Amino acid sequence: MVERILLLLLFMVGFWGIVGKKHIIKKIFGLNILNNAAVILFIVEGSRIGTNAPIMEQTGSSIVDPVPQALMLTAIVIGVCITALSLALAVHLYKISGSFDIDTIRLKVQDEA
Amino acid sequence: MKPEDLVFSTLMLPLLGAAIALCGKLIHSHKRIAKSFEYSGAIIGLALPWVALILLGQQVLRGEIITGVVGNWYSGVGISYQFDGLSWLIQVLGFTIGLVAWIYSLGGGPKGPAFTTIFLIQTAALAATIITTDLFNLFVCLEVMGITSYVLIPTSKKPGASLAAFSYLMVSASAMVFFLLGTYGLYRITGSLSYEGISLGLKIISPQNQMIAIVSCTLLVSAVAIRVAVMPLYGWLPDAHALAPHAVSAVLSGVLIKTPLFALSRVLMLFAQGPEVGQLMSIAGGVTALAAVIIALSQKDVKRLLAYHSISQIGYIVSAWGMALQFGLETETGLFLMIGAYLHALFHALFKGLLFLSVGTTIDATGQRNVYVLRGAIGLLRKAGERVPITFFTFLVGALAITALPPLNGFVSKNLITYGLNNSYLYYLLISASVGTVASFIKLGRIFVPGTNTKPSRIKRIRFRSRWVAQLTLAILCIIGGFWTPTVIEIVAKLLAPHQHMVLTAPELYTTDSLLKTLWITFGGIILYLLIQTAPLKKALTMIRTRPRNFKGLFVSFSLGTAALALWLLV
Repeated sequence: MVERILLLLLFMVGFWGIVGKKHIIKKIFGLNILNNAAVILFIVEGSRIGTNAPIMEQTGSSIVDPVPQALMLTAIVIGVCITALSLALAVHLYKISGSFDIDTIRLKVQDEA
Repeated sequence: MKPEDLVFSTLMLPLLGAAIALCGKLIHSHKRIAKSFEYSGAIIGLALPWVALILLGQQVLRGEIITGVVGNWYSGVGISYQFDGLSWLIQVLGFTIGLVAWIYSLGGGPKGPAFTTIFLIQTAALAATIITTDLFNLFVCLEVMGITSYVLIPTSKKPGASLAAFSYLMVSASAMVFFLLGTYGLYRITGSLSYEGISLGLKIISPQNQMIAIVSCTLLVSAVAIRVAVMPLYGWLPDAHALAPHAVSAVLSGVLIKTPLFALSRVLMLFAQGPEVGQLMSIAGGVTALAAVIIALSQKDVKRLLAYHSISQIGYIVSAWGMALQFGLETETGLFLMIGAYLHALFHALFKGLLFLSVGTTIDATGQRNVYVLRGAIGLLRKAGERVPITFFTFLVGALAITALPPLNGFVSKNLITYGLNNSYLYYLLISASVGTVASFIKLGRIFVPGTNTKPSRIKRIRFRSRWVAQLTLAILCIIGGFWTPTVIEIVAKLLAPHQHMVLTAPELYTTDSLLKTLWITFGGIILYLLIQTAPLKKALTMIRTRPRNFKGLFVSFSLGTAALALWLLV
């Protein structure tokens, strides 16, 4: 139960980072934290039924559920793509507006549009 | 060739094409070789799948459903997919608009192997979204679709486009985390990720797990609803669609916002709460249709006006789609509304794509996007090198279709929807939205009326050939869709409900009643247009246009929308 409460906190921190922070790099951090909270939740779920890594040759018994781990590999890859892309966009926005503040960027961009 | 391979080729061919087009990027020093790689990639990715679709069309018309597992794994272990009538219909929609938009991009930009590569990956993701029968796979497809559009939107090189893409990325990526949580909930209680397994598992869950099922369903629906841009989750769309390159706008508005909706209907059919979700979505759709058209009336940027109309039209589709789920596809009304929803999705893709492309050509030639300043576009386009006013003609076809004037395709699909919704409050919402549509297209049409507001110095000579091909193709499809209605309805009905021996009588569309209704709507639109020229209404519309919009609002509306859906299901 404790780990789930901690994960909820982590999730909230991430969400607060995205919504509450004005700095766009911090928003991207927030998105990462949010994503990782979901990833860890899946892993915790998989470990309910066992403790060993799901490698069949070594330990036949008491392995964790391998499906969530397989899924999360994909989710992590997608998360990396999104982070890379959002950082690229952040750099581009900085080049246009000279700022990382979302409100300043919006004002600058509207002037130029 | 086995039918399973044919199904798989509809998404592998675009991916193969993307790989080939990317080779063109690698050898950019030899322009001609790079171009031949790019073009052959596009032909393989966008034209060849048509062969597969035609072959598969005969099978799905017979009512066959093709299922398979990727890589011939055991079912239950591998990734399963299913190809039925709905998949075929959505893929036809996607590949039509994809091909036409790519042809347009040859003249209207963005050009180059990199663009073609990303565009083809997006097409593959679209094809995969509708054939997957696995929740996690749906997540991956939606993410790939999203990532490609975050890349494609800023290729217009407008400063606002980067911000639009960034906002879209943030809100949509966070929503996808919620989608993942929904998947987690369902995996936890049913131990399965495939639709089949989930549907079996949901039938035998304990009452305390029922709550988790409802919350998971809410999370899945609201994450997809962001992609569909139903009110109140529409905030990212106007900027993204207005500032993207024209060809990309056509695909975003035409295909990308509809595919997740129809993929969602598969998920919703698993839940006992599906009809309830449908009901709430249909209400949201009706409100969206009317509210978005009012905001559209207030816009001054031509493409943003079109973007708000996309939201309004998706409102039509969602309301018919939601009602169809509420009644169930087994009933005649439900099937009927689903046909209306699909046909409007298809026809909207055709005419809205057409409008985006025609207006895009006008913007490129005249360098002016302000609907109040741009006048006499026919003359300006002639100076830019268009001797026959083809762009005006194609714009006219699109505008008449979206305002639902007979005999164009918009008349058919809008009438099907309103016919299906007859005698409900949604009917009146949609009728008033139609009045607003007429008014705002009179406003937009004025850019072609002669006048002297635009400085001729900004006129650029542009290449028209590929733009004409794309625009004329869509215009002809719009006209054909209007004339061949009974055949089209029959085919769609057969595909959506293959095993029902219900004799679906297509309603007589050209009755005095419906024609009179169209006349009244048009008349109402003209009056509304005259009314918004008066000072107080002008002021009100300016207030609507300049209403504060910010990044936080996107998340607030997402949270509120999710909470509303959860409350609706629980109470």
